[in-house]
Amino acid sequence: MAPSPCALCHTNRALILRPKDHSKLCKTCFISVFETEIHHTITMNALFKRGEKIAIGASGGKDSTVLASVLKTLNERYDYGLDLILLSIDEGIKGYRDDSLETVKRNAEQYGMDLTILGYDELYGWTMDQVVEQVGKKGNCTYCGVFRRQALDRGAARLGVKHVVTGHNADDVAETVLMNLLRGDLPRLSRTTSIITSTPSASSDPASNTNIKRSKPLKYAYEKEIVLYAHHKHLDYFSTECIYSPEAFRGSARALIKNLERVRPSAILDVVRSGEDMAKLVPGSDEGCGGACSSNVPIAEEEEGGCGSAAGRTVGGDMENMEKQLAQNDTAADNDLEIEITAKSLQKAKQHNRHDSAAVPLANGKKTKKGVTPRKTNKQVMGQCKICGYLSSQEVCKACVLLEGLNKGRPKNKIEVGYEVQDVQQRDQGADGVADVMQRTSIGGD
Amino acid sequence: MPGKYSVSAIDEPCRRCKAMSVIVVRSEPLCHDCFARYVHTKAIKRLERFRVNFTATPDQQPRILLPLSLGVSSTTLLHVLDLHLKTQKSKTNRTGFVISVLLIDDVVQDPASAERLEKVRHQYPDHDYSSLPLHDVFRLVPDDASIRSLLPLPVDQAKLSTQEQLVSLISSLPSATARADVLSTLRTRLTVEFAKQAECESILWGDSTTRLAEKTLSETAKGRGFSLPWQISDGASPMGINFHYPMRDVLKKELVSYINLAEPELASLVYEPSSGATQASTSSKNTTIDDLMKQYFESVEENFPSIVSNVVRTTGKLAAPASMSLGQCCSLCSMPISDGRFGIHGWGGDQQDGVEPSHAEGSNKLCYGCTRSIPQFGSTPTTT
Repeated sequence: MAPSPCALCHTNRALILRPKDHSKLCKTCFISVFETEIHHTITMNALFKRGEKIAIGASGGKDSTVLASVLKTLNERYDYGLDLILLSIDEGIKGYRDDSLETVKRNAEQYGMDLTILGYDELYGWTMDQVVEQVGKKGNCTYCGVFRRQALDRGAARLGVKHVVTGHNADDVAETVLMNLLRGDLPRLSRTTSIITSTPSASSDPASNTNIKRSKPLKYAYEKEIVLYAHHKHLDYFSTECIYSPEAFRGSARALIKNLERVRPSAILDVVRSGEDMAKLVPGSDEGCGGACSSNVPIAEEEEGGCGSAAGRTVGGDMENMEKQLAQNDTAADNDLEIEITAKSLQKAKQHNRHDSAAVPLANGKKTKKGVTPRKTNKQVMGQCKICGYLSSQEVCKACVLLEGLNKGRPKNKIEVGYEVQDVQQRDQGADGVADVMQRTSIGGD
Repeated sequence: MPGKYSVSAIDEPCRRCKAMSVIVVRSEPLCHDCFARYVHTKAIKRLERFRVNFTATPDQQPRILLPLSLGVSSTTLLHVLDLHLKTQKSKTNRTGFVISVLLIDDVVQDPASAERLEKVRHQYPDHDYSSLPLHDVFRLVPDDASIRSLLPLPVDQAKLSTQEQLVSLISSLPSATARADVLSTLRTRLTVEFAKQAECESILWGDSTTRLAEKTLSETAKGRGFSLPWQISDGASPMGINFHYPMRDVLKKELVSYINLAEPELASLVYEPSSGATQASTSSKNTTIDDLMKQYFESVEENFPSIVSNVVRTTGKLAAPASMSLGQCCSLCSMPISDGRFGIHGWGGDQQDGVEPSHAEGSNKLCYGCTRSIPQFGSTPTTT
């Protein structure tokens, strides 16, 4: 078979079958096209401002290593004028973090960037190893994900940085789109597709850790191309999955994405595009502008996960739990046991009451105001955690709720957890067997 | 296991009437009759719109189109609607609507399929029946240029028969996914066109919950997420006719059980040559995105039926943009496009600087998803 020339430069021999569109490229052209596309993402979305200090959330894994390398290259090539630093979170997982942190330290030297490592023990008083000792392997990813989200913001605040970039790639985003469709979670669907999210400041304190911008410059980059780039650029990265991460709900969406990619290489990008389009169709979303208006940046997820390789994977059992819950809802609806209580119907009831009891209207009006708050479905009201001051939709943020449980010296279990943490709790539940079910549920095409 | 009617699994009597149960449906043991009622009720509940209208004269009854694929779902829908009309007739001496049935043959008109349709007509003689070959889409769609312009060889098209046009279009497509996608889009176009010409006020599609969930993820994967509000909800479609999905609350496996438990005459009408996605080709070359999603949801509905329903329910909440100018539609799938975002270029994920924007001029433009299926249309031919 005659060697085919590169589809771009037409001179060198093509050595790489580009995962995104199956074009045949030479090594040089692949590297340049990969970098140019990320440059395009950055400029098109106006991700950075000149002179901005950017913390790269670095785990030592392929995504964040490639992100650091590409940003350094582009910053020099196109003169972005950025001050790039590395920010690593040490979850305190022996045998996993120790080695990957060594990688990050080498990266810091190779790229000439400052590196800050913040430990969970330092921030929360617990390492993940200690957490696992306490709660067991089941559900520990919830702790890790919740802690990590805040950890990057706290670390950034400590360094006086207002913008953190993470290595989420197109596969991660596509996966999240499908997962949120499967979970029927439209509000989250509308948020996860945006390239920029932020935790808007709830306090006027400039050093507050709640006013940090997040962005994903690799949002449109294929995981396979990231690996190829790292390989051909001989990047130094650490490739071991977290020893604690179990296969989970997300695994089902992940398998689907992998199979889709095999059938049609553009499918990952197509799912991302669909996700962006659908975000605009979510009732009450802020995405009317397609995430293009800088003034209208979606609020980041408080509990958004993100374990290097397991990027935001939730814990097994959520699918089974959800199935049970939905089935119960259906039964209730079928038997007419469930009546939706809305402010309107309550008001009606009150009015009705009023006529019956001939009570003073004014008093009733007060009562209505006091007792009933309209149901909010899409918008969360963001306030501050009363314990740590972090942005939270609840009175106490999830990290503090989890910490409280840990500090009581016993595992949180599903019966004891209060209403506020329902979300987290859902992920906690479920037997290990469910992960196996999920495995089977995904399509076996391998 | 839910939906299975093996005797061993059911010790309890029917939860509704205490008769012997034959099937467990969503963890409720049901007897033969109660299960049949369960399926009927789910479908009929969706047809409030087509109640008997006593103020209308019999010839003013709305006509609805039932596209029949002879698969489990559309055949059951016909069966249930036929029963429903008979009930209406016996109770009120009137019916709420009349049915036209349409069977579309894919590439060639198959004499065997005419025979199958004849069998259906024999079983349910009160309705009108028609069958069309798919290539009639080039003949029937009035604005035929819009579809014809997609043909690979515009020069010769006048000389080609509609069948040759269809063959040349399909064989010009780059993958199995693209072929399946375009075929199903053309099938919808032809169905709509036929319904309009037959003066039907609505099309009643046979899609089950499972099928609608498949469609949701499949259209998402094909880059047509923007069109979901119109693709799976009941009501006015952008194609100028109402779409209804009476089977939207019934799972595919429940319909299969229904067929198996019903009179053998019904089962004998069903013809699903490629039934069972599990048999789908393992080679990725011949696998389509639709196949993948079918496989996926077949396994999900086994253990997580409520999650399947929830996907459909949730997707139904996506709202069509209010400021949609209906003039901007895809030439192939007819879905409304906002902000003139035709083609696959000109968005964040299209990252090659300097790629020529779509060459398509004039009124013919394809949406993102259709451009993926017909990449050669409106852009310079690719080498792949």
